[in-house]
Amino acid sequence: MPIKILVTAKRVEDYESKIKVNAQGNGIVLEGLKYKINPFDEIGVEEALRLVAKHGGGEVVVASVGTKDVHEQLRHALAMGATRAIWVNHAGPLDQMTVAGCLQKLIEKEKPDLAILGKQAIDDDQNQVGQYLAEWLGWSQATFASKEESLESEAEKSKTPALQLSADAKTLTVIREVDGGLETLECSMPCVVTTDLRLNQPRYASLPGIMKAKSKPIEEHTPATLGVDATPKITVTKMEHPPARKAGIKVPDVATLMDKLKNEAKVI
Amino acid sequence: MPSNASSPSFISQLCFGNIEEDLILPYPKMKAAEQETFKAVRSSIEQLLKPHDKDFRAWDEKGELPAEFVEELRQFGLFSLVIPEAHGGMGLSATAYSRTLQEIAKYDGSVAVTVGAHSSIGMRGLLLFGTDEQKARYMPKLATGELIAAFCLTEPGAGSDAASIKTTAVKDGDDWVLNGNKLWITNGGIAQFFTVFAKTGGQADRGNMTAFIVMRDMPGVSIGPHEDKMGIRASSTTTVHFDNVRVPAANVIGEVGKGFKVAMKILNSGRTGLGGGVVGGMKKLISLATVQAKERVQFGKPIAEFGLVKQKIGQMVVDCYAAESAVNLVNELIDSGSQEYAVEAAIAKVFGSEAMWRTADEALQIAAGNGFMKEFPYERIVRDARINRIYEGTNEILRLFIALTAMNEVGGQLKELSESLKGIFNNPIKGFGVLSEYARRRASMATSSVKREKTRFTKLDPALEKNQLVFEELTRELAGAVDRVLRKHGKNIIGKQFASKRLADIMIDMFVLAATMSRVSTSLQEKGATAVTKELEILEVLTGQVKDRARANMAKIDDNDDELVKSLADHALDRESFSWDNVE
Repeated sequence: MPIKILVTAKRVEDYESKIKVNAQGNGIVLEGLKYKINPFDEIGVEEALRLVAKHGGGEVVVASVGTKDVHEQLRHALAMGATRAIWVNHAGPLDQMTVAGCLQKLIEKEKPDLAILGKQAIDDDQNQVGQYLAEWLGWSQATFASKEESLESEAEKSKTPALQLSADAKTLTVIREVDGGLETLECSMPCVVTTDLRLNQPRYASLPGIMKAKSKPIEEHTPATLGVDATPKITVTKMEHPPARKAGIKVPDVATLMDKLKNEAKVI
Repeated sequence: MPSNASSPSFISQLCFGNIEEDLILPYPKMKAAEQETFKAVRSSIEQLLKPHDKDFRAWDEKGELPAEFVEELRQFGLFSLVIPEAHGGMGLSATAYSRTLQEIAKYDGSVAVTVGAHSSIGMRGLLLFGTDEQKARYMPKLATGELIAAFCLTEPGAGSDAASIKTTAVKDGDDWVLNGNKLWITNGGIAQFFTVFAKTGGQADRGNMTAFIVMRDMPGVSIGPHEDKMGIRASSTTTVHFDNVRVPAANVIGEVGKGFKVAMKILNSGRTGLGGGVVGGMKKLISLATVQAKERVQFGKPIAEFGLVKQKIGQMVVDCYAAESAVNLVNELIDSGSQEYAVEAAIAKVFGSEAMWRTADEALQIAAGNGFMKEFPYERIVRDARINRIYEGTNEILRLFIALTAMNEVGGQLKELSESLKGIFNNPIKGFGVLSEYARRRASMATSSVKREKTRFTKLDPALEKNQLVFEELTRELAGAVDRVLRKHGKNIIGKQFASKRLADIMIDMFVLAATMSRVSTSLQEKGATAVTKELEILEVLTGQVKDRARANMAKIDDNDDELVKSLADHALDRESFSWDNVE
């Protein structure tokens, strides 16, 4: 049974970039930064592609909010195999409520069976959009979706989806990562799933895939056309680097160590 | 940069004292649509190659890329880079192709060579000279990598002297029958599509050769074992043998008998792929060396704080920026449809391969003992880098090519003068009219007070005034030196390799400086002075270095120890050994 899945592609700083706080202390230095699709979102795209492939086709629609720069991330998802893209054109600061609001309106329009989002973006690590979205849509949700097998398993090699959709497409079984183990949920569809790191190993976009993505459509909206108030409810007032770690010392023996822990560090 | 098919060569014009600034300004930028494609390609390449980071060392040791990995490269589409979209490829411009090879070379030289030999030379003859029918037949399969391509020119007795090949093709009915042996063929072991050069005018007719498409599965084609190489060890290099191979006439690339031109055109056009590779290698080395210098602590502080380490790193940055500027400029010449870029492409290859060599050597030196260990990547990069100065034209042959080709037009004019006015130098009055035009131009070159249109830059940012003056001064000196050398040696210049090399070195330095000025100036005008302070510093350092080297080379053209050096060489050659010892 064909299914329709909405996924996301946030534009984030490459995790290998050197991030520095700017002189004003209210943001980061943008010069020389490289950008990528949020890795958790990429895992979401991969899982959606696998589910669609397993369930006899359907559609994977990828959405992103931001300036025209986010086309790069949308095209990345399209090159991986997503069917089409939706761009919510917005410049300026964004908070999680605005993003969730835009996605809610898109979902009401697109009516997908399922939304798969990264559990968080690696830039601000908020971990909130999926939860807001499920709440506002009144959908069931499963956060931190993970995999039972390892990423070296046969299931992973054959690109078997970790999310299990019932034959009638009414329930989705999700294994989620919790402290000290895994938990299995059954969600009634439609639902919102957010992905954890060990859900799958995303495919790369092949060069033919990149060429095909060029002709796939990107539909444009704005928060205004969607009826979303984009005024941020949260603003960043200050950013600073964590304090540098002080160099450690070497102690000659256990007795000195105990002495220092007791009398200098005063921790025992 | 409004150049086209009829644009002259920048360096040829420089030999006349003309600065054709429109050929190099503004500094080119990748087109927006292509940038978008390229960024996608770059991030995919990272996903493809990064997970193999540890494998590259093992494959280097083993001397082979595993078949599964080559298959991965096929699936990924890396053999489709320069094939037109209509034939199922990416249709990348020279600029984007060269930039893509940079990214691959950052991970591994062997992979870059495997991909580069296919696109830069292996199938380039088909791309440049193939008929529509040939393209339709082979390109879709070359794009998927179902066919991997190799370029077969070199033979045991024919390296730099490519015209001396011995492989023959004899017409028999509708077919050509090929016989001969090719040596050091990159991709030989994995290719199914060979661009083969064979003599078609008999052994006596030296330059008469033809290019053929030969398929691996044609009866009589055989492949030798993997060569055990110093570097790029995981790439496939083999001999290829042709024993009465029947090749249909439909497989001729270009015209029968015009194969030498086809070969040279392929090599000229493919050279910037190599340029892209070395720039990628240098960028990788700068990352490695800077991290290493900050981590390694000696005398109580990171060695990055020592002047002699900083000197190496600073020079790496200058070399890399300069090499990239030259490579990009040549790519743009190719993309704009210019036919006159052979000299500039050779310059980019020579400068790039030598800058890469210096950078690899110095990065290893910074890592020192660690650099010498196989556990670290430096020694592999040094081994991989060495071939760049040898293949696709040795740097020695290319230097002679640069000097002689660039001076050819000046020589032509001088010849015209001397032929139309026989004995002009004995009887100047007789030929005064024609000569006076030439003399006036020479005079204007020699004195900066006479302002002629093309002896100066007019479009560089004013902030580059000092650099510009140095370049203009050097241009006048170069034109003077070319004139002097040609008058002195005439046609015999071909045998004057010491002088030609010095002139070539001056031309190399000047093209690289011009490219760097173009880039910094364009950057300045686009981003403003505060954003390009570091680039201005690079230009400052490079200008000083070019000026010193060029001056030294000019001085040595006339005043040198060349005869002594030759005599010492002859002495050693005669005895085939070093002749002195402190043991009686």
